[in-house]
Amino acid sequence: MAKVFVAGVGMIPFGVHAGESLVDMAGRTARLALDDAGLEPGRVDMGFFASATAAPLFKDVTVGQNVFWQVGINRVPIFNLENACTSGSAAFFLACNAVAAGQARVVMVVGGEKMCVPGAGLLNSGATELDTQLGLVTPASFAMRAARHMAEFGTTPEQMAAVAVKNRRHAALNEMAQFRQPIDTAEVLASPMIADPLTRLQCCPIADGAAAVVLCGAEEARGNPRALAVRAWAYGTGDYANPQDMARWRTDYRTCAQAYRLAGLGPDDLDLVECHDAFTIGEILHYEALGLCPSGGGGPLAAGGETALGGRIPVNPSGGLLSRGHPPGATGLAQLWELAVQLRQEAGPRQVPGAGVGLAHCMGGDKDGDSKSCTVIIMNN
Amino acid sequence: MPGIFTAPARGGDPELLGGVCPACGRNFFPRPARCPGCLGPVDEASLGSRGRLYTYTVVRVKPPWGLPCPYGVGYVDLEGSGLRVFGLLAPGALDELEIGLSVRLAVGELGVDLDGRPCLRPYFEPAR
Repeated sequence: MAKVFVAGVGMIPFGVHAGESLVDMAGRTARLALDDAGLEPGRVDMGFFASATAAPLFKDVTVGQNVFWQVGINRVPIFNLENACTSGSAAFFLACNAVAAGQARVVMVVGGEKMCVPGAGLLNSGATELDTQLGLVTPASFAMRAARHMAEFGTTPEQMAAVAVKNRRHAALNEMAQFRQPIDTAEVLASPMIADPLTRLQCCPIADGAAAVVLCGAEEARGNPRALAVRAWAYGTGDYANPQDMARWRTDYRTCAQAYRLAGLGPDDLDLVECHDAFTIGEILHYEALGLCPSGGGGPLAAGGETALGGRIPVNPSGGLLSRGHPPGATGLAQLWELAVQLRQEAGPRQVPGAGVGLAHCMGGDKDGDSKSCTVIIMNN
Repeated sequence: MPGIFTAPARGGDPELLGGVCPACGRNFFPRPARCPGCLGPVDEASLGSRGRLYTYTVVRVKPPWGLPCPYGVGYVDLEGSGLRVFGLLAPGALDELEIGLSVRLAVGELGVDLDGRPCLRPYFEPAR
């Protein structure tokens, strides 16, 4: 019997929200989630706010208290969480724990980011880290994984481009996505080279955006026919062991396996996946870690159409990070928004028919050739 | 970037400086204050200067730290210690890069430091 349920979700379209502050964007989104859950603000007895860039870009701290007070939530514990690209999903992990432990009956998680401002630059692993000072930028770390994957498994640029083409085709059906124009393989490969072999259309753009999820316990869920059960919430940090295998990401495999174990489910039980396609090669690596195909089989899986809407296991029906853009605080929650909409059969033209079980996978941070965080969440209706 | 390479007074290759745990023998680059396994202090140790390129990329967006555009980076499997370390690749050798390439450490003025002043950086170049 599940202990934790998703009662409602909210999201605003990702893109450029010039003239709207982070707090206003996030507050607007929180209101959407409360309305979706059919709950009054007074019912929320714990809150989490996730953002990776509020502090470095705006020198803002404890933004969450401002966001929650915008929707009339005060007096209760509010936590602010930064965890790079998994900020949103790591906050969700803590919220699940709070509900499961009985510390709170209704918890809201809000994540937001305002990145489309001058001087935002590329994400890196921290200015004082040696790798950063030696020129490691995030696209480079994935480009090096791509080069190794190509050398070991024969993965091709066309197979990687297939991920971008597929996700953009999905995004055409999702009004929350920032980039919705279809693209083809030739266009993806001809776009400017960012870090060999990854071209611009294989790297996720930045965005302003916010997403929110309201969680509750079994008692509160009983009166809500749209509530969804959270079957597993797994969160692993890196092993940082040297050497790292850059074509088979141990931290990714380990966290995915943990989530399956917690849920008592396997890859064949999934109806859809939202995964961390910050770069095309990332989605291919995650297919393999998630067991959607054998190690090394991710390229052919992408090119064969099995992960497209209508295929065996649709991945990123929302269009993914590649089409939404990637505001780290909101991304993990935007994935859960998509799962919720799909599992409630409310996804309209991009609905995965009869979707019953969905998985959301997110990764963030870079250390010693490993990831600093990986979250895997499994939900069912 | 003090403490991560040695520059010999004359002749010879510079060497990468890392650490070795006297208790468990584990090698590190860069040298941490404590061994994450044993939690004891870590001795300084030379990691040599040679290895093979495990993977690489050429970054073509606006570079950080005043590095050249484009610039190469990669992971090198070091001879001896077995460590796989991240590093810059010689700006003049981007056309020669391939996985498995034998490389050796070099040190030269490359980019600027945190304060914007020109500085020395270690990089790997093809070992001919």
